[in-house]
Amino acid sequence: MKLYDQIFNVVKQFKKLFSPGPVTNADVSGSITAEIFIIVSLVLSTILLRHVNVLLAALVALIVAIVLISNIPLIPKFKLEQEDSLEKMIFYAIVTLSIIIVFLYWGGNLV
Amino acid sequence: MNELIPLMVIIPIIAALLISAFSKFNTISKILAFVVAICLPVIAIASNYGLHYFGGYEPILDNVTGITYHPAIVYSFTFLQQIFIAATGLLAFLVIFIYLAKYRKVSGPYLFLLFMGTASVTAMLLTDDIFHLFVFFEILALAQVGIVAASSIDYSYEMALKYMILGSIGSPIMLLGIGFLLALTGSVNITDIVYAVHNGLVDSKSPVFLISLGLIFFGWLYASGLPPFHTIKSGIYSKAEPHGAALLQSFTVISMISIVLIMFRIYSSLQIFEVLIVFFSILAMILGVSLALTQTDFRRMIGFLAVGELGFIGLGIGLGTQFSITAGLFQALNEIIITALLFIGFGAIVNATNEVDTRKLGGLLFYHPKVALMLLIGGLAMAGVPPLSGFQSKLMLVQASLNCGYPEISILAIMVSIATFVVFVKTYYSIFLKPKPKDLDVENKQVPKTMIFAMAILLIIVVLFGVYPDVVTNGISNFVGGIL
Repeated sequence: MKLYDQIFNVVKQFKKLFSPGPVTNADVSGSITAEIFIIVSLVLSTILLRHVNVLLAALVALIVAIVLISNIPLIPKFKLEQEDSLEKMIFYAIVTLSIIIVFLYWGGNLV
Repeated sequence: MNELIPLMVIIPIIAALLISAFSKFNTISKILAFVVAICLPVIAIASNYGLHYFGGYEPILDNVTGITYHPAIVYSFTFLQQIFIAATGLLAFLVIFIYLAKYRKVSGPYLFLLFMGTASVTAMLLTDDIFHLFVFFEILALAQVGIVAASSIDYSYEMALKYMILGSIGSPIMLLGIGFLLALTGSVNITDIVYAVHNGLVDSKSPVFLISLGLIFFGWLYASGLPPFHTIKSGIYSKAEPHGAALLQSFTVISMISIVLIMFRIYSSLQIFEVLIVFFSILAMILGVSLALTQTDFRRMIGFLAVGELGFIGLGIGLGTQFSITAGLFQALNEIIITALLFIGFGAIVNATNEVDTRKLGGLLFYHPKVALMLLIGGLAMAGVPPLSGFQSKLMLVQASLNCGYPEISILAIMVSIATFVVFVKTYYSIFLKPKPKDLDVENKQVPKTMIFAMAILLIIVVLFGVYPDVVTNGISNFVGGIL
């Protein structure tokens, strides 16, 4: 029942996502689809790690699945982080640049 | 030497300057813009394949080392450049045609931006000089900012400014990467750089070479609108005029493939390069489609879908085989056509209703059946429904990832296609099929015939590429075989 309540709360939280304005059936079903899609696709992507190590892939997939499911609703959080705020855009751009450079400088020859 | 090759860049630049200079003479500007716009695809189709050496400086053979150097800028024109330049030229013509018919008094500076953008992407595709590519990359970024700022949509200035500020991070970083490559190889000619890298003249394991990849890769992310730039990219699409957005997305796709093909030639010996491309492509697909599912502004929704579709292109190139790269490039060509069709079609709805919120729309199938039908086919093509062009390229991508031993990527690609279908069906239902809200005024507003004409042309291409994909895939495959 706990998971059911959690999913029910997700639908209620979608109201905030579409404010101001009415929330239609199509919007809620679209958001639920997005919620399921993002969980499944991220878990599926982690399975790609099997090309590095099968055990690592299984462990990461399990952890990602637990973390994502226990943190639903994800879409309002994703949407909040990816709004049109210049500060957030610059923040993520700089974080990405740093990760790419660090990854290449210290790990470029390992892959 | 083929004299028509540089004209593909020079003619739109001269037209841009003339139209801007003589914008007071409305009729002359209109005629000139129309004639040059028709010439854009025609020159690409009429030109022969070959090389053009600027200034007549042909390659020099060093008798001591046996290495050939390219002392000046070289343009290379093959089937790949031909098909993409012709597609962009055709799209530029349709967009300019819509614009000229829509406004009685045309804006010289706006036409200047459209032509300069088209010239820039053409030069980026043709050039074999990485610094020359960067110059046109910068001009393109400014043209894109201008096209968005010039639209009459609320907050377009703000979005254009944000794009410019982010560009002020992405562009210098890319230039720095090019500088590192120049320092390592002593050349900005891509063929010379590739020769140096693949013949051991440059240590491909050196940190400077790896950092140059990171920096140029970051610039490529900005140019392509892949994460973390997916939000701003979808934002500028939604704040541009619909016909402008149709052209902007083609600029994005062309700059994406022109830069990534150059990176592929230089860095393909590094496995991490392909890992990076696949990682960011998957991220773009997931974020683009999931955010599109939650949008109520249908222009923004198409913007996010366009970003998600870019992931398919990256995926094909990241897998690194001849078949997968061919699939990725075919997907790029299809995306240019299909997304333009959707932007123009949904733009027609904005034109008829002045409304972009799907919650306030409905019942438009009765009022605009032609637009509804063409949008339906365009949406199905984007989702990858047979026998349309999107199906062919996505099927090739799924097969390519299976051949490479990545069934997870195939499943993911199919899931993204299904989610794209859901996005489209949801939006289509909200706009066309659900009952019309009482306060929605659509009685006396007609969709311009130029928009219907443009959609019909694009639709014919979608169906043609869907039924006869070999028309383009054979030529693209031959090109890819040449760079591998």
